Amino acid sequence: MSVQLHPDGDLLVEYSSGSLSPAMCVSISAHMHFCDSCRDENLRLTEIGGSLLSGVAPEALQTSALDEVFSKIDTEVDVAVTQQPVKSNEIQRGVELKSLPAMIQNLIPTSEPKWKFLSPSLRAAAIPVGENSCELALHKIKAGGSTPSHDHNGREVIVVLKGSFSDEDGIYAEGDFIVHHPGEVHRPQASQNQECICLSVLEAPLKLTGAFHRFLNPFFSFNPQ
Amino acid sequence: MITSNIKHVNKVVPLVKPSPDEWSALLEKVGADKDRQAFSTLFEHFAPLLKGFLMKGSNIGPELAEELAQETMIKVWRRATSFQRAKSTASTWIFTIARNSRIDLYRRESRKQVQLDADDFYDQSVENPSLVSLIQVRNKQTILEHLKSLPREQHEVVSKIYYEGKSHTEVAEELSLPLGTVKSRIRLALKRMNVRLAAEEV
Repeated sequence: MSVQLHPDGDLLVEYSSGSLSPAMCVSISAHMHFCDSCRDENLRLTEIGGSLLSGVAPEALQTSALDEVFSKIDTEVDVAVTQQPVKSNEIQRGVELKSLPAMIQNLIPTSEPKWKFLSPSLRAAAIPVGENSCELALHKIKAGGSTPSHDHNGREVIVVLKGSFSDEDGIYAEGDFIVHHPGEVHRPQASQNQECICLSVLEAPLKLTGAFHRFLNPFFSFNPQ
Repeated sequence: MITSNIKHVNKVVPLVKPSPDEWSALLEKVGADKDRQAFSTLFEHFAPLLKGFLMKGSNIGPELAEELAQETMIKVWRRATSFQRAKSTASTWIFTIARNSRIDLYRRESRKQVQLDADDFYDQSVENPSLVSLIQVRNKQTILEHLKSLPREQHEVVSKIYYEGKSHTEVAEELSLPLGTVKSRIRLALKRMNVRLAAEEV
């Protein structure tokens, strides 16, 4: 079955041009893992960037620029290869992690996601991306289980990575990209025969003036109804 | 000031510029043979474009743009093996490297604790989809032609988004326009450029 729910065009534009938060980028990448049409769409949008690059008025570099670049190439060892802190690439991956898209595996620095208990049917594992404005996490609902009915303070995006779940509005399968706005109460339930793993992005509510600088941990500020 | 060392003389543009296919061939040479001559030709062409491109961003000055352009070209050298001409054009591939370098710069500046870079958030296999045909490479010429013929207000919005890496909301604030107006200008521009949005077709 092909993916039914896609990110909207505005999100794809922001993804290709580079203005989305890392957490939102990950959710779009995860969706594209399952969705050929959005992948092609992204390629066409990225070509706008390539076209603008090839049509821009050039700015001369310092005369020594090419020599400097060659000397860096010759003397510096590739930072990406040597200086990265322990990247997940070297970690032995567990069975559960291996069942997820490769780019998600690369973001998790342990052999399996570190699940935290949220309710008898629901576990969550945060994925650290160093953002205060939103939180990225994996959620796991056990087969047939449901999460408490809840609302969020900010926009929530869910991408189904494994299995399927349903709520009041429909049934969602692998790759589906679901957006919930604040105030939309929902009560996800996994299908009976298989547990469901989702990627979720939760944005903190918009701070209008900065007068109330309370730090919100959006994920755990999940509002039970 | 470093700026005094920058050569402001306009380069003599060669009468025959390599075609997109030739840029791709040069990139492949760099990938396969670490060919310095090929890299130099690419550098002479793309580094000034990258600097010009990055300087369009309102908060990136000439020095920083120079640094980022160099950083991008170093990555081009190192990653050229992963370039595949059937899947992308040279300029689009180089654009994605510059885009991610810029994201990393912003993240470094805001002192993010987590040591991940933009390449970790953008699935590389997504950048090089398996289904892409040569038709899309040809399509790129059309995109460039259409870009040039966009009405001024649509061109302005699209440029801000891609040149400056700004979100729709930031562009709306900067131009004192309602967000809905920015979004509809983008939509009209994409339609004109024949870059339709799949989500709208469903």
